[in-house]
Amino acid sequence: MNTISQRFTHANTNDVANEINTVHDSLSHKQTLELAPSISVPPISQPTDFLRAHTDDASNPDCKIKIAHGTTTLAFRFQGGIIVAVDSRATAGNWIASQTVNKVIRINPFLLGTMAGGAADCQYWETWLGTQCRLHELREKERISVAAASKILSNLVYEYKGMGLSMGTMVCGHTKKEGPAIYYVDSDGTRLKGDLFCVGSGQTFAYGVLDSEYKWDLTVEEALYLGKRSILAATHRDAYSGGSINLYHINEQGWTYHGNHNVGDVFWDIRDQEQSFVNVDG
Amino acid sequence: MSDPFSINGGSAVAMVGKDCIAIASDLRLGNQSLGVSNNFEKIFGFGDKCFLGLTGLATDVLTLKETFRFKTNLYKLREERSIEPETLANLVSSTLYERRFGPYFVSPIVAGLGHKDNKPFICGFDSIGCIDFAKDFIVSGTASDQLYGMCESLYEPDLEPEQLFETISQALLNAVDRDALSGWGAVVYIVTKDKVVKRVLKTRQD
Amino acid sequence: MDIILGIRVQDATIIATSKAATRGISILKDTDDKTRELNAHNLIAYTGEAGDTVQFAEYVQANIQLYSMRENDIELSPLATASFVRNQLATSIRSRKPYQVNCLIAGYDTKKDQPTLNWIDYLGTQVELPYGAHGYAGFYTTSLLDKHYRKDMVVDDGLKLLKLCLKELETRMPIDFKGVYVKVVDKDGIRSVELD
Repeated sequence: MNTISQRFTHANTNDVANEINTVHDSLSHKQTLELAPSISVPPISQPTDFLRAHTDDASNPDCKIKIAHGTTTLAFRFQGGIIVAVDSRATAGNWIASQTVNKVIRINPFLLGTMAGGAADCQYWETWLGTQCRLHELREKERISVAAASKILSNLVYEYKGMGLSMGTMVCGHTKKEGPAIYYVDSDGTRLKGDLFCVGSGQTFAYGVLDSEYKWDLTVEEALYLGKRSILAATHRDAYSGGSINLYHINEQGWTYHGNHNVGDVFWDIRDQEQSFVNVDG
Repeated sequence: MSDPFSINGGSAVAMVGKDCIAIASDLRLGNQSLGVSNNFEKIFGFGDKCFLGLTGLATDVLTLKETFRFKTNLYKLREERSIEPETLANLVSSTLYERRFGPYFVSPIVAGLGHKDNKPFICGFDSIGCIDFAKDFIVSGTASDQLYGMCESLYEPDLEPEQLFETISQALLNAVDRDALSGWGAVVYIVTKDKVVKRVLKTRQD
Repeated sequence: MDIILGIRVQDATIIATSKAATRGISILKDTDDKTRELNAHNLIAYTGEAGDTVQFAEYVQANIQLYSMRENDIELSPLATASFVRNQLATSIRSRKPYQVNCLIAGYDTKKDQPTLNWIDYLGTQVELPYGAHGYAGFYTTSLLDKHYRKDMVVDDGLKLLKLCLKELETRMPIDFKGVYVKVVDKDGIRSVELD
């Protein structure tokens, strides 16, 4: 009886409103989402297509909303822990929106998250991941594992699958239980544990340098340089990467920041020191 | 991005000073996001005090460079003198309009001094040959929006050659540093009545 | 995606092309040579639309050879060869059915005693480069070449560098390209080289 009467009430005869309500309902059921403000969905049948039509520069160059994109980020495990290196450029189409973006999010003193893809998506959800990790600590009286933290994020993005989130991230950290660990998480819902990842539009350039020099037995100093050098290679060739390089090292004491290196200066220093980039004069 | 004007990237700018002109371009040639060459000049000389800057689709830049080399050489043989900047501007315009319904994807700029009177001349074009005469500066390429901003704020009339070099260099460098598809080196030509000075600028390489 | 790679060293230009001929989801042949000899000191390596590639390469090959026959066995220089190929592609792109062919032209200028490498895409964009590639290969190898390339390298150094590039391609490319054919163009002409 209830279902029959419901079908004829005004609100439910509206298909669009129905769909919005269903999306809202299905999302707010998730316990982890309760802390996040509710995110409104455009009142049309295919939010994904709508979003793509208005924001995807590749499929529609005339689109008015240009989401900040383009990045090179990398992280790798080695004998001395983990190195995380990222560039700092944000582009909206061909416009360089910023050369000073912070693409490493410090989730807690032992956990770092890297940002590639939609700048806002990464910034928002990784900050949110930080609060989830803190809540875990308070509830369990124990620091969250890298595996668990990355799974919270991958489960979250999976809830939004098909709705246009765009992120490629690496959750890196050190715990007693796991040792140094890196998880690759992206907005498709992929979650991979691994030793070495490069993410973003400049990933291939970074892989090129990193693969050829990478060894497990690298010293911390060598590893930091390799991280920096790999990002430099990518900033040089990839139009959508550049600005400066941010470097981090993670070991059992947590992460340490190894500075911001402006590509404008570092490029010439490394070129002169290595005698590489011979094709570039100046 | 399948817009032909921004497949390869690149920018150029020209300015008028006191009895002199300057014309400059970046050196990048890319294939979308991938940087391919850092030695792709977009400024070409025709006669001793007359220059053409071509930005846009690289294949058309090369084709037009050759076309104008051919046409200005023939002109020189017929007239027994080098082409004047004003004349080159009209030649560029009519050459582009010949392709009205299948245009070359370029935004040319012309800068030079008159051969007799040394009068500075600059102008720009759209891709089908409409001439944009200007008294101060002309910009073109993927960083043209940025160049407008830089030129509007830095430009002042009647600059001496050295000051003009500084102004055009700063305008170009700071504009291309905000464009993902331009940069990777730059080149500046300063043209005065008795000499042409070419300078290659050291720029960011990202 | 095919692999087309070129490295210019001091005394020669080295070209590597993948052996796999792929159509749809199958590899039809694993001994496909994606190069043609244009004349004694010029080699074209090509990739692009199936059918267009070989037709185009053989068309320019025939025309360059015809030129030499007509002009008292004058061999077209690498720059002239590359300009001719570029011109064909630049004309073709504005025709009803353009050739979709990207190519590298390895040459050795016997007059100036200089090796050259010309990068030309299907639009007719042409540049002279010390090293270059078409397709996805460029995304993996240019950073390596940026790091390890030196001006004073000779053929053996170039081959070592090439091996480094191929190793990277084998680890990161999602499809098997069945190895490469390597050819060297130097003062003595064009020769094949076996990589060990």
